[in-house]
Amino acid sequence: MSSSMDVITQFLFHLVVYSIPLLYGTCGEIVVERSGSLDLGVEGTMAIGAIFGYLAGCSANSLFVGVLVAYIAGTLVGEVFALFTVTFQANQNVTGLTITTFGVALYFFMGNAMGEKWPVLTKADRMVKALDTIDIPLLSDIPVVGKAFFSHNILVYIGVLMAILLWFYFEKTRAGMRVRAVGENPAAADSLGINVAAKKYQHIMLGSGIMGIGGLYMGLNLGGTFEGSNCWINGYGWIAIALVIFANWSTARAILGTFVFGFFRTLAVYYGTLAKTFPKVLGWLDNIPSQFFSALPFIVTLVILIMDSVRKNKHSNEPAAIGVNYYREDR
Amino acid sequence: MSDSEYAIELRHISKHFGSVVANKDINLTLRKGEILALLGENGSGKTTLMNMLSGIYKPDAGSIYIDGEKTLISSPEDALKAGIGMVHQHFKLINVFSAADNILIGSSKGSETHALLRKSRYSQVNQIIHDFGFELDSRKIVANMSVSEKQTLEIVKVLYYGAKTIILDEPTAVLTVQETRKLFEVLKKMKEQGHSIIIITHKLNEVMEISDRVAILRKGQYITTVNTSETTEKELTELMMGRKVDLEIERPIVEKTAPVLEIRNLSVKSDEGNIALDDVSFYLRGGEILGVAGIAGSGQKELCEAMAGLRKIERGVVLHKGENIAGASPEEIIAKGVTMSFVPEDRLGMGLAPSLSIADNVILKKYKQSKGFLLDKKRGAREAQEIIDKLEIVAPSVETPVRKLSGGNVQKVLLGREIAIDPNVIVTAYPVRGLDINSSYAVYDILNQQKKTGVGILFVGEDLDVMLALCDKIMVLCHGKLMGVVHASKASKEEIGLMMTGALNTVHQKRGKTAGIAKDSAIVEDEIIYQEEEVNV
Amino acid sequence: MSQQEPLEVKGLRKQINRGKNSLAKQFHLVRKSRMKLWQNALYILIGVVVALAIGAAILTSLDISAIDYYSDMFTIGLVGNAYPERAIENFLVSYVPLLITSLALALSFKMRFWNIGGEGQFLIGALTSAVIAIKFPGLNPYLMLLLMSVVAMLCSGVTGLAIARLKTKYNTNETLATLMINYIALYVVTFFGETKADWNFFLRTDSERPKFTSFTKMPFVEIGDFHLQISVLVTLLIATGIWFYLRYTKQGYEISVIGDSRRTATYAGMNVKRITLRTMFTSAALIGLAGAFTASSSGCISTNITNNVGWTGIIVAWLSKLSIPGIVLSSFLITILQFGCRSASSLYPSIDSHFADLLQGLILFAVLAADFFANYKVVRIMSAGEKQEEQHEDKKEVES
Repeated sequence: MSSSMDVITQFLFHLVVYSIPLLYGTCGEIVVERSGSLDLGVEGTMAIGAIFGYLAGCSANSLFVGVLVAYIAGTLVGEVFALFTVTFQANQNVTGLTITTFGVALYFFMGNAMGEKWPVLTKADRMVKALDTIDIPLLSDIPVVGKAFFSHNILVYIGVLMAILLWFYFEKTRAGMRVRAVGENPAAADSLGINVAAKKYQHIMLGSGIMGIGGLYMGLNLGGTFEGSNCWINGYGWIAIALVIFANWSTARAILGTFVFGFFRTLAVYYGTLAKTFPKVLGWLDNIPSQFFSALPFIVTLVILIMDSVRKNKHSNEPAAIGVNYYREDR
Repeated sequence: MSDSEYAIELRHISKHFGSVVANKDINLTLRKGEILALLGENGSGKTTLMNMLSGIYKPDAGSIYIDGEKTLISSPEDALKAGIGMVHQHFKLINVFSAADNILIGSSKGSETHALLRKSRYSQVNQIIHDFGFELDSRKIVANMSVSEKQTLEIVKVLYYGAKTIILDEPTAVLTVQETRKLFEVLKKMKEQGHSIIIITHKLNEVMEISDRVAILRKGQYITTVNTSETTEKELTELMMGRKVDLEIERPIVEKTAPVLEIRNLSVKSDEGNIALDDVSFYLRGGEILGVAGIAGSGQKELCEAMAGLRKIERGVVLHKGENIAGASPEEIIAKGVTMSFVPEDRLGMGLAPSLSIADNVILKKYKQSKGFLLDKKRGAREAQEIIDKLEIVAPSVETPVRKLSGGNVQKVLLGREIAIDPNVIVTAYPVRGLDINSSYAVYDILNQQKKTGVGILFVGEDLDVMLALCDKIMVLCHGKLMGVVHASKASKEEIGLMMTGALNTVHQKRGKTAGIAKDSAIVEDEIIYQEEEVNV
Repeated sequence: MSQQEPLEVKGLRKQINRGKNSLAKQFHLVRKSRMKLWQNALYILIGVVVALAIGAAILTSLDISAIDYYSDMFTIGLVGNAYPERAIENFLVSYVPLLITSLALALSFKMRFWNIGGEGQFLIGALTSAVIAIKFPGLNPYLMLLLMSVVAMLCSGVTGLAIARLKTKYNTNETLATLMINYIALYVVTFFGETKADWNFFLRTDSERPKFTSFTKMPFVEIGDFHLQISVLVTLLIATGIWFYLRYTKQGYEISVIGDSRRTATYAGMNVKRITLRTMFTSAALIGLAGAFTASSSGCISTNITNNVGWTGIIVAWLSKLSIPGIVLSSFLITILQFGCRSASSLYPSIDSHFADLLQGLILFAVLAADFFANYKVVRIMSAGEKQEEQHEDKKEVES
């Protein structure tokens, strides 16, 4: 019995682990979208943040440096996106897709160019150590859920804290409200002396930086091994974009949303174990091909997208001016 | 404070958009504590000029003096700081925010605003609104506000940010007669408090009523400024047009036919699912122009769309020459000779494909008539040329994309195409919106010509003076309900104004005859029930 | 209130005056009037050169001579090759799917339908056509190609149709929906390639695992030593056909009206939903056909059979601003880039084919930036006004 409880704890533990990178991606995208830009470059931004953050973190043997570089790399990609869509007035969809193409290509190009020189995560001992789990006193002692939810590495805590802080920022502060004004009606914001371009630049860069950290975390989760055929991000950037709709542009709801997806992601890893541990209840899981579980997050995203549109969410918080570039002198 | 006589002085301001000259070497002064009316036809550059004061546009050349000091206004923020506030024609409000938040998100005003959003901000803003002498609930979300409330909010906003000079761009266009009167009282009060006001309008009677001086622009150039007390409407018109004009709108008397269109008990929902038209009945005879008056958003848009087959009819009958066309597709309705040219705020939004050529736009409703798989491009080019010649459209060629044409020419292309179909019913909404006087009269002429050939015209308009002069009858809508149908030659503006606000309902006023139901109706009472059932199925 | 304000306004005015001389405030962006075609082309050319220059910088940082690399890349392995015919054949094998996919994507983009699912639709086409090839090995090669194409187009087209239906009925976000299909299709292909079950079409009696290889190859026309695959001819026909379709047919006209203004199209009596469904079916079916052609010309499939055409096609379509002749040309150039990169990778082991994707991204960035410089210009305010003012004052003096 205790072993089956352990399996549940482990399952829940990994559910959190797999969710958090997505939480970074989704929150980053929400920050960008709240300022009125639709960034389809999440996949590429995460990939760039991941590889630069990883390489820097390993060579400095410091998690802090890794996260910092991932963040900076992300903000630089965000700056490119902002430069093109805010200053150059380029189509946001096309710019985002180009960032994805470029970012993923850069990821592979760099990884391949490194070849033998690719750093192994285990050699960066101090970075690995910084990722050790931290028990939250008392809460982590609760049976089953304690170790699952309250004994995680620092990036998990930072991620959840960030989501809550961002929620507070957008819902409860005047500064956040000003950003929302830009996303809702840039002309109105402009007429009140809000610097629309600056707000957009700031938040596109902040959001992209957050995506970059998510990319790094994704790579760390996968042990930091570079494969020539599979990118670490592997489509999760797109799921992050879809999750924004599910989260209804609230970073707090995004926590819930990413846990749903984390569940399916964890299932892909744990379904065998689950089937063995609970043969009577979950034995059937073994009969399902593994590729189905790999595809599951994408299938679930599609289903949720469809359900959401069928339901016709009347209380959608989608920023009204999303996807439209603002040019003050437009006639 | 400096002792300059002028609150604002513009010197040699010029502004180009691409190759179009919007303002050319304009000099204009605004005295402290006066109401200056800025008069000019549409396209004369009034809004452009004011947008340079409010920091939306930057001038290509020229300088702005505020209170005697040369000031560079390069953003709305600069304008705010310089004490200039503008109430734009299209309100710049955030629909999902409350009134309070729409005001407070602006630049911070020291201790008055907190970094965190507190509940107390509502009472704080309520106090501000009250102090300025307005009534508005600061908790109300903009999306739920009436046009007049939104305008009030905009005025409170500019006052809150310390505007000494207030610019209002066509503030009365969306208001009823009664609301306009209230606004003017507010403006006079603000003047007494020492504010300087510029009001953009093209309604001469309003200019005479409210302003101290009138500045006139024509084709992007400054003409002159006159004292209101020393001028007449006629003189202003001549200054505005640059020549003498006959402002009479013709209303030819044409023998009317039996009703070509009968609407009975029509109910339609809006996009949001609310009732937009509620049990409306009216009829339209051949050879008459029936005006549709109402405050913006009273169901005009839904009426047009329902008649064109673009909107689902919840209940009711649309009888075209004795045949119910409720529920028919746009294609079938076009084939019956009912045309609709609906011109929403953005002129190109419905009816025209702006990036396509004139020729391609002209065949829009006919392209299916030619046989086979291919598009009859020659026919499009030929008919486009005919329309260009007939209506004197200024366009380089039939291949010119429509979006490159000026407003008046766009409208002519639209109307020209509709008329070329040989319609028997024309539904037209705001056909002169954004047009100058010349183009407007050209449009009235076109409509009158059609009327003379026995076509029934439904004219959805916004300028009551024009409607009273042009239309034979006017029906008034309020919140989607019919308030009555009046004879234009016998009705007064005040009467229609009251009906627009719902204060007066004349539907059942005449004994024995309900407004909107023809004596010689083709609808037999039993039949209605039958028709309704059919619609419901 | 009127007592406090003047003070405040005055204080603020000081701030403005302080900022008066800031240089940035004196400049602003102005939209230019329409550019001439050659000017546009020039800007794009400059953009491409800049992109290649950045690429050269990357190469140099890896201690590789950019000149050597680019010359090897742009000659796509023709120089010093004993069998240049094969190189051209292989080049065409890469060109065909990219061209068809880009054309198909342009069709949906013209209608402002964001079909980002090229990868998935391609995979569906490749997989289903491979089923035919495996199931009926003895078929006449022409008949086989026809059958493969039809099945691929139908299956992929129906996928596109389903998404379009969701869009027209529920307004489902088509960008994300088509995207999810990409990944789902990928795992479906993986599944068929790894599953040992009797019902799996790809399970062969002569092997342990399902096989995705060695089925009937596409027939070709021999011109001397050169083997011209049928797909090349068909593709050129399709390109001409789509160009004609968009320009001269009623259906093409409907697509441009819908792309320009959906409301106008409805108002003109067009059945926007039906047209959306039809166009999206065509778009997806054509991408499926590209998949079938690729499967047939190489005689095998794999999870990376798409060679990223679903993504590259989007770049090509936008580089060409959705013009059909433009797509024919730019997909040709992009294929040179990709194919050249692949053939050069044998000489430069540290530079893999992703360098081509990198360059593509840079080129599209450069072209987007070029678009901006072609359409906007930076203008300094006031200078003209100051001049005028001087003139005016001169005049005043003369008058007095």
